Amino acid sequence: MSCDDNHEARAKDRVRRSLPIVKSESQGAPASSSASRKLWRSIEERTRAETPGAANEFPGGAADLDGVSRRGFMQLLGVSTAVATVGAACRKPNEKIIPFVRRPEELTPGNALHFATGYALEGYTSGLLVESHEGHPTKIEGNPSHPETLGATTTTEQALILGLYDDDRAKQLRRGATPIAWPTFLSEVKGRTASLAQNGGAGLRFLTGPTASPLLADLRRRILEKFPRAKFVSYSPVAADGAIEGAKLAFGRPLMPRHHLGAAAIILSLDADFLNDGPEQTRLAREFASRREPSRDMNRLYVVEPAMTVTGAMADHRMRLRCGDVSAFAAGLCAMLSGRGLSALGPVGSLGHGAGLWDSKWLVALAADLEKNRGRSLVIAGRRQPAVVHALAAALNAALGNIGSTVEYGVPITTDPTAGVEPLRTLVDEIAGGAVDTLVVTAENPAYGGPVDFKLGQLLKRVPNVIYHGLYEDETAQSCNYFVPAAHALESWGDGRATDGVVTIVQPLIAPLWGGKTEAEVLAAFVSDGEVGTHALLQKYWSSMSKLPGNLTGSFDGVWERWLADGIVPDTGAGAEQGLAINSQALAQAAAPLLASDAALAGVEIAFAPDPKTFDGRFANNAWLQELAHPISKLTWDNVAMLSQTTADRLSVETGDMVTITCRDRTLEAPAMIVPGHADEAITLPLGYGRVHTGHVGRAVGFDATALRTSLAPWFDRGAVVANTGKRYRLAITQDHWTMSPDGRDIPPPAVEAPLAEVLNSGSMFHEELEERRGPLPDVFKPVDYSGQTYKWAMAIDLNKCTGCNACVVACQSENNIPVVGKDNVWRGREMQWIRIDRYFSGPVDEPQMINQPLACVQCETAPCEYVCPVNATVHSDEGLNEMIYNRCIGTRYCSNNCPYKVRRFNFLDYTADISPAREMGMNPDVTVRARGVMEKCTYCVQRIERKRIATRIEGRTIADGELETACQQGCPTQAISFGSLNDPTAKVTKLHADPRRYDLLHELATRPRTAYLARVRNPNPDLVKVD
Amino acid sequence: MSGGHEDSGFVARRFVLAEFATPEALLAGTRKVREAGYKNLDTHTPMPIHGLEEALGLGRPKIPLIVLCGAIAGACIAYSMIYFCNVIDFPINVGGRPLHGPPANIPITFELAVLLAGGSSFFGFFTLAKLPQPYHPVFESEDFARAAVDAYFLSVELPPEGDPAKVFAEVQAVGALSAELVTESER
Amino acid sequence: MAAPNLSRDPLEPLPLLEGNHTDKTINDSLLEHVWRGAGKGWWALFACALSALSLLGIAITWTLYKGIGVWGNNIPVGWAFGIINFVWWIGIGHAGTLISAILLLFQQKWRTSINRFAEAMTLFAVICALLFPLLHTGRPWFAAYWLMPYPSVQRIWPQFKSPLTWDVFAVSTYFTISLLFWFLGLVPDLAALRDSSKSKTKRMIYGLFAMGWRGSGRHWAEYKWAYLLLAGLSTPLVLSVHTIVSFDFAVSVLPGWHTTIFPPYFVAGAVFSGFAMVLTWMLPAREFLGLKHVVTLKHLNNMAKVLLVTGMMVTYGYLMEHFVGWYSGNPYEYSEFFRARQHGPMAPIYWLMMFCNCVVPQIFWSKRARTNILVLWFASILINVGMWCERFTIVITSLHRDFIPSSWKAYSPTWVDISLFIGTIGLFSTLFLLFLKFVPAVAVTEIKELRHELDHDPTAEGAGVTH
Repeated sequence: MSCDDNHEARAKDRVRRSLPIVKSESQGAPASSSASRKLWRSIEERTRAETPGAANEFPGGAADLDGVSRRGFMQLLGVSTAVATVGAACRKPNEKIIPFVRRPEELTPGNALHFATGYALEGYTSGLLVESHEGHPTKIEGNPSHPETLGATTTTEQALILGLYDDDRAKQLRRGATPIAWPTFLSEVKGRTASLAQNGGAGLRFLTGPTASPLLADLRRRILEKFPRAKFVSYSPVAADGAIEGAKLAFGRPLMPRHHLGAAAIILSLDADFLNDGPEQTRLAREFASRREPSRDMNRLYVVEPAMTVTGAMADHRMRLRCGDVSAFAAGLCAMLSGRGLSALGPVGSLGHGAGLWDSKWLVALAADLEKNRGRSLVIAGRRQPAVVHALAAALNAALGNIGSTVEYGVPITTDPTAGVEPLRTLVDEIAGGAVDTLVVTAENPAYGGPVDFKLGQLLKRVPNVIYHGLYEDETAQSCNYFVPAAHALESWGDGRATDGVVTIVQPLIAPLWGGKTEAEVLAAFVSDGEVGTHALLQKYWSSMSKLPGNLTGSFDGVWERWLADGIVPDTGAGAEQGLAINSQALAQAAAPLLASDAALAGVEIAFAPDPKTFDGRFANNAWLQELAHPISKLTWDNVAMLSQTTADRLSVETGDMVTITCRDRTLEAPAMIVPGHADEAITLPLGYGRVHTGHVGRAVGFDATALRTSLAPWFDRGAVVANTGKRYRLAITQDHWTMSPDGRDIPPPAVEAPLAEVLNSGSMFHEELEERRGPLPDVFKPVDYSGQTYKWAMAIDLNKCTGCNACVVACQSENNIPVVGKDNVWRGREMQWIRIDRYFSGPVDEPQMINQPLACVQCETAPCEYVCPVNATVHSDEGLNEMIYNRCIGTRYCSNNCPYKVRRFNFLDYTADISPAREMGMNPDVTVRARGVMEKCTYCVQRIERKRIATRIEGRTIADGELETACQQGCPTQAISFGSLNDPTAKVTKLHADPRRYDLLHELATRPRTAYLARVRNPNPDLVKVD
Repeated sequence: MSGGHEDSGFVARRFVLAEFATPEALLAGTRKVREAGYKNLDTHTPMPIHGLEEALGLGRPKIPLIVLCGAIAGACIAYSMIYFCNVIDFPINVGGRPLHGPPANIPITFELAVLLAGGSSFFGFFTLAKLPQPYHPVFESEDFARAAVDAYFLSVELPPEGDPAKVFAEVQAVGALSAELVTESER
Repeated sequence: MAAPNLSRDPLEPLPLLEGNHTDKTINDSLLEHVWRGAGKGWWALFACALSALSLLGIAITWTLYKGIGVWGNNIPVGWAFGIINFVWWIGIGHAGTLISAILLLFQQKWRTSINRFAEAMTLFAVICALLFPLLHTGRPWFAAYWLMPYPSVQRIWPQFKSPLTWDVFAVSTYFTISLLFWFLGLVPDLAALRDSSKSKTKRMIYGLFAMGWRGSGRHWAEYKWAYLLLAGLSTPLVLSVHTIVSFDFAVSVLPGWHTTIFPPYFVAGAVFSGFAMVLTWMLPAREFLGLKHVVTLKHLNNMAKVLLVTGMMVTYGYLMEHFVGWYSGNPYEYSEFFRARQHGPMAPIYWLMMFCNCVVPQIFWSKRARTNILVLWFASILINVGMWCERFTIVITSLHRDFIPSSWKAYSPTWVDISLFIGTIGLFSTLFLLFLKFVPAVAVTEIKELRHELDHDPTAEGAGVTH
């Protein structure tokens, strides 16, 4: 749903729904909710009256918040759960949480509202659109008008909803083990600050996560004014410092690259998983896909990486290279190019060495391609790569004239340009030296994610006062004497900036369920603004600006509401630096030793990687993500030490063997997994698992790779020794067969792909083959005629665009209340996700090509599942949907047996029995919660179809193409999924069904699927196509 | 106790039970006794004996016809039920198949035909045989216990005023081993 | 026990009845095991049977309490032990009906000694089978009656195109008809029991069930027809039932299920496993219940021949499946039969099936094997195992790898699956032991009839040494 239309109305509504919850006191609530203001005051007065001493203990909304959230709230939920029977379509909304005194005219109970907000990861804020039913946020979408998300989301953003309602989140503010109230905390902080102020806050340190929030920056300024000798340090275990440092090497000052794939014809990724990692991923995926249409100017992607990634799977040419060899490769490429006359590289061109590590033919072809496409090519270096690689990438981009077209460099927008090991080291030394008296930790769980040699866990214990602000009672919380439960992003006010600098005002969708506090409130406590509340701070900060961005006219409140409604603050984008010049000489000198040191490394390499699911471990307690199949390994509920077949054979290791990895006298035991396309003599260790202190979901899942991660080698290291312990480990893998496995070799590949040349040549084998996979079929009986219907729903999935990022899977899970079954049940083969991403490898195990194929119910017109159901529990709708009637199903599972696509899911056990009352609030009230013993499957989001049907009927029109999106389609960053009515000749889906690349899965079975697939197209470099 | 009591309307039925040595003797005896003009004959044997039907002068058995009706009824009920449910009462698109799919109706039609046919055979028999019948005058005889084991009896029901002696003489003549008179007891 | 007849001239046919008999001796000898008190052996077996039965109770309770999830089933293997056991038991049941019905129609004299036994087996096997279709559903409390066409509040009817709906009608009909058939045959014997029982209570009880049967010639006249017609109906019925059971698979699109050869090959398999099961129980029974004179080596010999023939039919079925898998050029079929079955994770079961069902019966080419009790007994058990493996291969191996490799999964049973299987064997044994205790294991009346026929036609095949 676009949020541009009637945002005025919603803006008002938003202000009212959100403000009274968080602070009705401190902000002038609109007249229409004066009643609510009265209510709040009355409660507050009552509290005062009863406990005079507590007058200052429960100021503002805090009192009733506490009251509602911890006592009444849980009781009322108890009631509501009692009311809501299992399998009831809609959980009874708990009106108490959103204390409407009078229903705002905008809100019709039962109709969802959408609010624009944002979510900050790694300091960069993406724009989100959150669906809310009766004040319960239930579904995350991307904000279409936000420049970075463009209406789509990442996998982890989709899963935020589950994190919000996570009953394991920390709920108690405490000093040591004693629970204290927020006001108490504030007064104690006041006490500390008083003493700290005497020596200018010499012993005061702040360890924050990387952030680009103007408000937090302002708070920091105010704190440093008050305590000039205090220090702020940003730390993130997965910080991408290489880019900034690299720019420093190349241009002499810290700059941040911003990429634009729209203009890029040739893309070279140096260990950069840009399609599934980093703050630009959603936009880059969209831009990348936009150039994948099979045509002459289809882009070509070269990837150099150690382990297969989502980006590597999309590559036209992929070279597996260990992390440590990438720098040599970059230098080699420079040499090759300058050798071919790219003089602009200057001395950098003479750094080249490391030949022999790779197929030189490959390098030649790549160089030629880049050269041919000056100004239309792009070199991206990944977050794991050291500064030198980023510098060389910058040099290449400069020399190829790409700066300004496909890449631009801007001033870093995060308050601290770097957030890696080095800044942390200084802090660690200070702590070790006893210089730190009060440490405020708002960074994400540094004791877990930090370098193992820093031993932050023990170190923190040595600081007299440590205030930790976090979502969970995690590893860090164990060694801090003050713990402040954080408010979830969807519970907090705030602001933040996207990679291009655009500001988003983050607004809460619901009152903090368990009284969490925002980072701003914690910091504000040090400038004695703790009780004001984030909303007030935020408005104070933005209204105090001399000139409002977007030079909007009218009252600040009007402007403010506009910002909230749009989800972006106009004209806040950061410009690119112009006239940048590479100091080639200096770069060459600086790079030479670095390259040498890299080359010196020998032995088995261990490389760490942020996990596509738990990231750095912060999402470890999110069951949706834990149960998600890893995009490459299809592993759930675990992480594994990934290695190549060749290396595994040398070490005589098989998938599932427990191996010990020893590096720099540190040892780690982990299950091994052979992953096609992995670099030899290298092991990839995903971060974010093996959590000890977190919720019951993430505890003791997988192994903790940080055990080998030192400050010397935060990303990759060499000289590791691997030994097979002989023990076996049970891995819950959702797909361990692929077409190249011997058992499947007779079966025609379900996912079709072809090189561009064949696709463009209409007479090629490719087109003949596809004709057989779609043409007309003999009929035993007359097919049902749907042409008379208003709608004939159908879907088209473009394999050429699907990156396999899993966003659709989580989107579907969230939209359709799909339960989580746990590791054992996944191991048994009972995962419930309605849409799965099938991934197939082709070619040799070590040099494979990978292709993804999202597969949900394809809504066969002659569905084999239907005629075998003895009780008519799955039948066809007039518009051709294959519908499930849950309350009629007796669970014979015959339908699933007879489904050739095996897309049906069965509730083998009562999977929704033990979900918390809080979680129930996040359920989509439009979708039945299925009972035990019932079959379920994708229905093309029939609830969305019906909602839209009702809405359009009221307006007396039919549903227009594009205004109705399924959850998977809406979440997809690359718009690989299209949905619409085949009876609308102009609809996108109709056109795609007529596309020459269209084919039907298992067409020969005459199931007449409504979901069509568009074949994947590869764009190989003609020089590299093997002639055989 | 011949004749029974006058006050109640009860008239005791009387039978002459004649035992024969072998099935063949029984067969011959029965034939002769019937030719001698006796009605209401019956035999009691541990197993069916070939030829008894005509010896007793029974007509064609009725069971086959009953069973045929049962079968036809079953088939008709089944097919019309399916047609009514899937075509008339609740027509719905199931896997794009036609509403009325004759081949798919065959199994159930057949099964119901067999069920009703079998049922009518079983219950038809017990109805015709007037079984279960806990009491029958022949059970009055001590020897009758052997009827189900290894004895072959011919029973002749006497008319109310009939004279047992004549019957005794008759069965003696046709080679019965022994004969006795059993009288229905009143309860 | 094979000893006496080995000395006999092999050209002389084996007797149907051994020794000289009168109605009385037959009567007493065949009822003897009913009157005799239960021996130690019986109690020992009964104890084992009951303990297995209690295991069934536990497994069923747990399944209903937790859900089907306590079984090993998954997606794609939606059906597993439940359906395997269902088909296996139904198949076993079929032998009984075939023996009593078809052999009756074909006037096979040797039938009479074993039909009562076999019919009882049918009933108990079908009872065991009936547990599973209900249990294996996700919501048995609805499955119990939603499958029946009654005007429900949901305003919706069963879906009559589904083979499962056909199953409901087929199996319930089969059970009913078998029960009626069995009871009708039993009535005269119950009368015999009544009349030869010593104690009053037994007389009362048997008398109750005998329904006042008095061997009336008028009754016999209709009785013979009723019995014959039930037999006539049972014959197509038994064929139809297993045909319909095979439709559960044949009607689907799954490679390994979707094949037209299933109906005949399922029926052959049913007879095969059924006769094997009859032997498995009959051999000990004739030893310990003193039935050797009526269940003679001739019977065993004939049954062994049936095993050989049906075994070869089954083998032909397997060969055909594989041939079609290759000849059709259908990659999925080929992959199923030549990869998944022969080399997949379930391959051992497949090869065991091949051995038990195709190789083992071949020993019955030899008459010495056909008339050797021990050989027969072990062979019959192997065949039971083999037929269970066949159903395993058909159900699970076909399901676990089908069209799209991404959905291929392995399967492993849980303790509940195994308990359910053992439990039904317990249920079967319990019922069977009770049957042997309270009802003559051989149709007394028919044996008497047979004796008379043999008396009057000493040249009749198998008249043997009677008189």
